[in-house]
Amino acid sequence: MNGEVFNPNPTVFALSKRSGRKSKFETGQSLWIDNDSQLEHTEEDSEEESIDQDEIYDLIRSIADPEHPNSLEELRVVSAEQIDVGHNQVTVEFTPTVPHCGMSTLIGLSIRVRLLRSLPQRFKVDIRVKPGSHQSELAVNKQLNDKERVAAALENPTLVETLEKCLDTAGMQNDLYT
Amino acid sequence: MELVERSVRSWLASGKESELEETVSGVTNGKITLVDVVKALGPYLTSEEDEIRTKGVDFLSSVLGKCPPEKLNRQAVRVLAVFYCSKLEDIETTTPVLKGLSFLVKFPPVDSSDATDILSALFKHIRMKALVQSTRFYVFAIVDTLLGKHLKALQTMGKEFLTGYVNLAEGEKDPRNLLVAFAVARTILTQFDISEKIEDFFDITFCYFPITFRPPPGDPYGITADDLKKALAACLSATYAFGRLGIPVFLEKLTAGSPTTKRDTLQTMSLCLPVYGASVARDLGRKIWSSMKLEILQPTDPQTESEALSTLQVFVRTLQGTSEDIVDLAKDICLECIDVLREPEKAQAKAAMKVLCEFVTVSPMLSRFSISQATQHLVGLFHNPDEVPTRPAVVLLLSDLVFASRSASSRTSVSVSPSGEDTKSDLPLGPAKDDLLGVFTVSLKTSNTAEPALQALQGMVTTSGLFSDEELGFIVHAVDELIQPNDIEEISENALSLLSDISVNAPHHVADQTLPLFFAQLPDRAPAKEAQEERAKYRRALSALSTLCSQPTLFEILVVRLTTKLDLVSRSTAGLSDTEPVAAYAHSILTAISKTLSSKVEKKAADVPKYVDRLLPWLFKLFIEASTSEGSSVLIDSRVLRVAGRIVSLVVETLVLERQQRFVDKLFGTFLDGNVQEITDGLLHASGDIAFTPLDPAANADQRQAVVLFAAAVMPLRKDVAIPAKDLSSFLQSIVVWADSERSTQIQREATWHILASIVNKHTEEKSVASFLAILLDTYRSSRLHNCDVPADARRSIIKLWTWVTKALLVRTHPIALEFVNCLFELLDDDAVDWDAAQALGELGSGDDVLTKRNFAVIKVLHAQKFFNSILPRILEGAKACDGSRRESAYLVALASLINAVPKATYSTQMPSLMPLLLRGLDLPDPAIRASIIATLTATLKDGTSDNTAVSLYASTLVLAMLKNCIFADTPEPRVRIAALRYLSLLPGAVRYDLLHPYKANVLKELAKTLDDPKRAVRKEAVNARTNWYKYNG
Repeated sequence: MNGEVFNPNPTVFALSKRSGRKSKFETGQSLWIDNDSQLEHTEEDSEEESIDQDEIYDLIRSIADPEHPNSLEELRVVSAEQIDVGHNQVTVEFTPTVPHCGMSTLIGLSIRVRLLRSLPQRFKVDIRVKPGSHQSELAVNKQLNDKERVAAALENPTLVETLEKCLDTAGMQNDLYT
Repeated sequence: MELVERSVRSWLASGKESELEETVSGVTNGKITLVDVVKALGPYLTSEEDEIRTKGVDFLSSVLGKCPPEKLNRQAVRVLAVFYCSKLEDIETTTPVLKGLSFLVKFPPVDSSDATDILSALFKHIRMKALVQSTRFYVFAIVDTLLGKHLKALQTMGKEFLTGYVNLAEGEKDPRNLLVAFAVARTILTQFDISEKIEDFFDITFCYFPITFRPPPGDPYGITADDLKKALAACLSATYAFGRLGIPVFLEKLTAGSPTTKRDTLQTMSLCLPVYGASVARDLGRKIWSSMKLEILQPTDPQTESEALSTLQVFVRTLQGTSEDIVDLAKDICLECIDVLREPEKAQAKAAMKVLCEFVTVSPMLSRFSISQATQHLVGLFHNPDEVPTRPAVVLLLSDLVFASRSASSRTSVSVSPSGEDTKSDLPLGPAKDDLLGVFTVSLKTSNTAEPALQALQGMVTTSGLFSDEELGFIVHAVDELIQPNDIEEISENALSLLSDISVNAPHHVADQTLPLFFAQLPDRAPAKEAQEERAKYRRALSALSTLCSQPTLFEILVVRLTTKLDLVSRSTAGLSDTEPVAAYAHSILTAISKTLSSKVEKKAADVPKYVDRLLPWLFKLFIEASTSEGSSVLIDSRVLRVAGRIVSLVVETLVLERQQRFVDKLFGTFLDGNVQEITDGLLHASGDIAFTPLDPAANADQRQAVVLFAAAVMPLRKDVAIPAKDLSSFLQSIVVWADSERSTQIQREATWHILASIVNKHTEEKSVASFLAILLDTYRSSRLHNCDVPADARRSIIKLWTWVTKALLVRTHPIALEFVNCLFELLDDDAVDWDAAQALGELGSGDDVLTKRNFAVIKVLHAQKFFNSILPRILEGAKACDGSRRESAYLVALASLINAVPKATYSTQMPSLMPLLLRGLDLPDPAIRASIIATLTATLKDGTSDNTAVSLYASTLVLAMLKNCIFADTPEPRVRIAALRYLSLLPGAVRYDLLHPYKANVLKELAKTLDDPKRAVRKEAVNARTNWYKYNG
């Protein structure tokens, strides 16, 4: 990242555990201790597991911060509580580490692209800066939720390259805890 | 002589190598002398024409290059040296002359005066800039050889040599020459007095730093950037005199460079600093630190950061040198870092702690200083009421410090006396111990600081000699309060592993304080089916107990308490309409024992074998009682029996030969002859009313279940243990008959297969077994296996039995195995069981838990490969029929299951011919088969080494087939969908982009559907796959 560093010394938080979802065994719902693999478990019950807050959080928590070698989760830029899932509607709120952070749009854009690729098309995704956490909140929100602007931004090859770098780690969540 | 003249003439005309060879061989066998060669060359060497002269010299030099060393005497060398030196004036002949000299200097008769003469002439006449690379190479080679052979002479040349060489080496750019030049420079720097010329040498070495050379593709010389880096680093670190000049260069590169340059610089600094020495480090220290600080506190990437930290360690060590006190700068750095720790939750605080941790490892003195400073500051911060929100960060930082000092003390504590008092002061953590213990135990009481505190405590507990027994007891008490099982949701894994670590040295604390807490959580009666919470509670307690009780004393307690509990629980079924929860509880209890036991066996714990006398008789008593009692006991539930069997196997596995023999004698006495007192060590007595005859075909269902334990005990027997049956053949036959009985259940049949496989495998040489096998192949095969009148279900079990016996023979590559395999092949034409036989063929190649090295099975290496190679052609033949018949599908099934079972190295070379068949297999309706085919394809993809030409060839077909298998509407089985998506996610990494480019848009579109899959696990794979395809670009 050339030029100005917006927040040279951010607060780093510890990673939280895997999502709070519990297996049937942990809650004592199932009678027997299952030694069999989870796959067979899914085979048996045909109940539908809908997309929830935790799942969306899992998708975006490992995106890398453009300025630091940390993930968005570690910097508490995103958190599970700041995600709201409704019927075909997702709202993601994120918190820049400092109010003058010039990277906010880039972070928002990387969340947007990650969800664009990973969520079914039926969802409408809103991405917002946490109210009061950024000096040009309105401008950032506007940029992030305007289809045309997002599309225009993604035409810029340098921007896309930076974006891909942030998204490179996004899938790591899967390997980290399993 | 004439011969030479002729060769010379014809060589000059034709340049043929053979002429040269002829002359060389003449010189070698003594027919020609070098003087003859020179004479013959005479006119050419002095010719007026440049070209002829050059060629003449070249001929001489080439001969010299191939001439054996003993053929040149002192005289000749001298003459040649003088000749070549004089020839150096002649610009036209420079190249062949240098070539000749580079050979000449290697001859032993060259003496020091020759050496100095040659070098003087070189310095005088050679202008490197005018020469091509290969010629310059000769120059470096000459200097290199002379340095090696005539160091003394060159040293006496002194300044003339140094100046001359610097002039030669200046401006060299070719990596091939540089490699030699660096070696030369290193020798000069270490062997010569260069105090006056230091700047010149600095110029011709540091100008190359950092190396940015990238070898061109297909470089024939094979010089890598790494070779150059190493050679150059050796130069730069050759003399302390470079210190003052070099450090500023390093720092400049460090500030301005790319991450690679930074790392290179840091690595080189690590090498150079110790050579440059303490005084340079002290003088330039502040500058060094301020540059390094940036790399650590605001790191570009983790790699550079860790490189910087290790360089910092070298720097501090150099700085400190042999000084008695802590050098001011070191102190300042330390204090500066502690200043950063004022904001412990920030990123830089972590980095600063890393610096301090490096300090801890440098020297005991610095270690004590930095630990006391850091703990003093952080402990103060911790107790400051204003700073409560930063407590988690403070504890994390302290925990880092604890671990660093633990590794420091484990390295230095060799001389520590075991007497307690003294050791404490020797340990770097010793003085801070009480403060830290205070902080951590307080931290345990709050949820957000508990986890890091547990880790830190673990670090302290595993620092040997740090804590007294009393203090350990205190820690156990504090941790117990944390895991008070009443109000906690989950028991922290860290807490358990901390307690386990304590139990290694002080088991009594855990036994007295912690275990009772958990045992109290185990009810005497199983909670009812609806009581989910209580069930979750006892499970947590059991799983915690099984993690905790690895230590011998604790394990003994565990076994005693849990077996008693099991007895109690299994009897408490009176009046219950549904006994399943009771069985599940019994199962959980046994699982806890088996888990601990299994981890102990894996760690080769010495106390396992004794449980053959303590645990097993008890188990057998419980289960024999259960199987002979009136009314069904929960213990004869298949799932419960299976775990009990696992425990039996684990214990028997660890016994030595004699004890196994003794055990198996008792086992057979009980199971065959009904003497129940034998295996239970007298805990049971044979009573007249109930006979224990589980292996009698007429035995009731309950007794039959006990055979599971029997099988579990037989499986891990050593090869040399004699099976105490009167006639082994009829015993095995009776087992087969028992298994074939209509009253046998699945688990009972499985047990018999294991018995048969295990005994057949280990006792094949015995006559009785051979006769048993003969009976199987003859009467049993015709009357049962191939008999169409037997119901299909029964035949399936028979095929399984057959498979197990076959496998027992295959793993030891017994020749008779092939006859057994043939019988299975014949079944592929039998419509009733063809697919089962096909799958059985595949299973033959797969591994299992019975015929293993752990169970002392006789296993030959590469047996799977041999088997695979022997039957693959036959299967391919059958599968290629391509007539869409059932028979063809059966062969495809066989292929799919076989290929899934064997290691991929066996078939990776055959992939191109297998691929079309596997693709056809993907159309089979059976999801299990499709899943295994996809698994096979995935395994070949993942292995980056095998070439993916087969995949590339069929890439488009593969993509389409996988897309079909990953859509919910087409494929209801999540397992198949997951496998297909995984395969799709790997494809972009394995196939060239241009091959799949036409499909990218379609794949992305189809994968978008899978993002809405009802199963979470499938969606996760879908996201991965789609991301990979997005990134897939030309």
